[in-house]
Amino acid sequence: MTFIDDILNYDSLSIVGLQKNTGKTECLKYVLARLPLEQKRVAVTSIGIDGETTDQVTRTQKPEIVLREGMYFGTSEAHYRQRRLVSELIDVSDENTSLGRVVTARALTQGKILLSGPSSTSGLQRWMNDVRRHGINLAIVDGALSRLSLASPAVSQSMILATGAAFSINMSQLVQRTAFVVDLINIGVTNERNMTLLGPLDKGMWWIDTDCELHEMEAVTSLSQQVQFHGMERCSTIYVAGALVDSFLEKVRKNKSLKNVELVVRDFTKIFVSPKQLRLFEKNGGKIKVLQKSKLIAVTVNPTSPSGYVLDSEMLCDKLSQAINLPVYDLLKN
Amino acid sequence: MQLKNVIESPCGLRFMLDRLDLQSGFARRWLLDSEMMTTEQEITACYDVLRHFVDFVRSTEPSFLNTLLFRLQGVKDIRTTIKNLRQSLTLDDIELFEVKHLAILSTEVVKLLKEHNLDKVVEIPSLDEVITILDPDGMMIASFYIYDSYCEQLKDLRIQMRKNPDQQDELLLEAAEIEEGVREDLTRQLHSHVDDIERALVALAKVDIDVAKARQMVELGLCFPSISSDGSSCYKAMFHPQVKDALSRAGKQFQPVNICFAYRPTLITGANMGGKTVVLKTITLCQYLFQFGFGIPAGEACIAIKDEIMFCIGDEQSIEKGLSSFAAEMKNIDAVIKASRENRKLLALIDEPARTTNPTEGTALVQALLKVLATKQMSLVMTTHYDIEPGSAYCLRVKGFDNGLMNYSLVEVEDGEVPHEALNIAQSLGIDTEWIDLARLELEKTE
Repeated sequence: MTFIDDILNYDSLSIVGLQKNTGKTECLKYVLARLPLEQKRVAVTSIGIDGETTDQVTRTQKPEIVLREGMYFGTSEAHYRQRRLVSELIDVSDENTSLGRVVTARALTQGKILLSGPSSTSGLQRWMNDVRRHGINLAIVDGALSRLSLASPAVSQSMILATGAAFSINMSQLVQRTAFVVDLINIGVTNERNMTLLGPLDKGMWWIDTDCELHEMEAVTSLSQQVQFHGMERCSTIYVAGALVDSFLEKVRKNKSLKNVELVVRDFTKIFVSPKQLRLFEKNGGKIKVLQKSKLIAVTVNPTSPSGYVLDSEMLCDKLSQAINLPVYDLLKN
Repeated sequence: MQLKNVIESPCGLRFMLDRLDLQSGFARRWLLDSEMMTTEQEITACYDVLRHFVDFVRSTEPSFLNTLLFRLQGVKDIRTTIKNLRQSLTLDDIELFEVKHLAILSTEVVKLLKEHNLDKVVEIPSLDEVITILDPDGMMIASFYIYDSYCEQLKDLRIQMRKNPDQQDELLLEAAEIEEGVREDLTRQLHSHVDDIERALVALAKVDIDVAKARQMVELGLCFPSISSDGSSCYKAMFHPQVKDALSRAGKQFQPVNICFAYRPTLITGANMGGKTVVLKTITLCQYLFQFGFGIPAGEACIAIKDEIMFCIGDEQSIEKGLSSFAAEMKNIDAVIKASRENRKLLALIDEPARTTNPTEGTALVQALLKVLATKQMSLVMTTHYDIEPGSAYCLRVKGFDNGLMNYSLVEVEDGEVPHEALNIAQSLGIDTEWIDLARLELEKTE
């Protein structure tokens, strides 16, 4: 399989599951077992708790993560103490998680480890910068894509998406819903100027006028009937630092003055809109752009749902691959 | 009194701390936990050290300073680990790593300080022996595990592990026991160095704080104060850094002020917008900065040491306590009177007392307050708009409008007579003329 070679082109990779039990950890295991360590110095971490031997929610078996000698890893103090390998500590960070601080170490023998890591996007970013100082040129993030996670995997340059029957056992629905997420991941980045202006803003709503002036928008709540602000006829870009939801998208679409506006969000994990609203918005001339984007390398599928229902693997791979125009793999089958 | 207790004082101490470029969170916590100094010995020692750091900051290459700052960023709060070590609890790998990290870091900082002869100024105990214990292979790299060289048997087990990965779990179990023995042994060896480890940690925080204070002094143009021996405090060209900063951003200049006060009460009168409150804020700020060992925002300063500093700004309502602004103020001033009866060196700064009540009673309250506090051995600086008899008080007045411009300097006057410039100032603010003209007529009626 070739996507291992693709990974080597990037400094960072996140592996994102669309749902628990979509085979994310299997995918990580697969990647870690095959990376050519003589070419890359690899560090791995996870956002939030992961790597527990049984899934905390569904009580199904979860594989432990096996590291090879020479790999670096970031995990919490509590999980570091439970490691089943010999490793050398190289850093103890100030990053706190519910399981203690995040520590970084190098595996001196192969062995098993429970992974946990920074629980915020900025913490993750800091960890990635820190390991880079230790000569790491591939940082891998095991990232849950869930509204419960505060950390965004989109800080990595590349991404592998894990989907499967746990997400939906109806194949056409699974394909459709996965394709929608792929569309969101592939949303393009905004222009340089907007990036410099909007990059530092981490809260609130902002707009940029045709003269490139940045303004803060008066609060628009879900109760307000429409999006309206002074000077909106000169508005070229709207930036939503928090979550982008259906009702806001609809209000922007219905406002005639904002017909060709570009809507910018931090990254695709901030978009919580329905396919229908997104389509209507784009049909009406609106554009959505992001500040941070990861290159989607591949999609993996786990055709088995936690309840035991199994989809036809080959058919699923084919259909999904056609829908998203990317290679799709069933790693357990191969 | 710790710095963290007074940091929110309305005098602007928070601004100074926000402008202090500390490198580690531990240094910040340590500074906030530090006690206000109240002896000449402590304050002199503190400024002596700071003087060396100011010379250092002025003379050093930026790249050298950055190297030092970068090292100081690595300082972590490992007090829990030190506590465990003190109690001889076996340290785990993470704690041993922390100790080693600190030991290597402090050795590096000592080396840097030596280049500028600062190692004589701050005493950082040598942790070379700690490094020897935790770095058996002499790598001088801040990483840690239970090294093979601690135990021959451990080394063999690990070789086997690499050869037979399928037996790893049993081998790890066997190794774990040996590792635990090594940790116990290391903890025992480190135990005798625990005081040095703790002293080194604190010393690194102090270096961080001193470098930050020195850089702040250079950047904001602060001065070293001298310590007054007769209880009087004197400031020349005193300024408030926060107000100065705000003004300069608006393209304006801050006009520095001279002021001296001792045990005679000092009464400041003057027009509205004359900067009376800013004077009180600045005096309060300077007094705190002095007793926490910071540079002083003035051209020259000679300051008396106080045991207690009380600043009553008056316009703070206490909604949580259900007090009106008047009641809150009365309670604050009451505390000043109570404190003045104790045998402690007290500095009280009271801004326009009784301003929120009717002028007749207000005047009586202020007059009586001045009489009460004049008999006490304390320093008092008070501002007011009321016409009161100064008695023994030393009276200062803001110069006020001078050729259409506000002159903020203070001049000594014989009596406490207050200027009547409120209407002129209101007019210069462009306040509605119907209102102001009518006020003038009302004024004429009463006169």
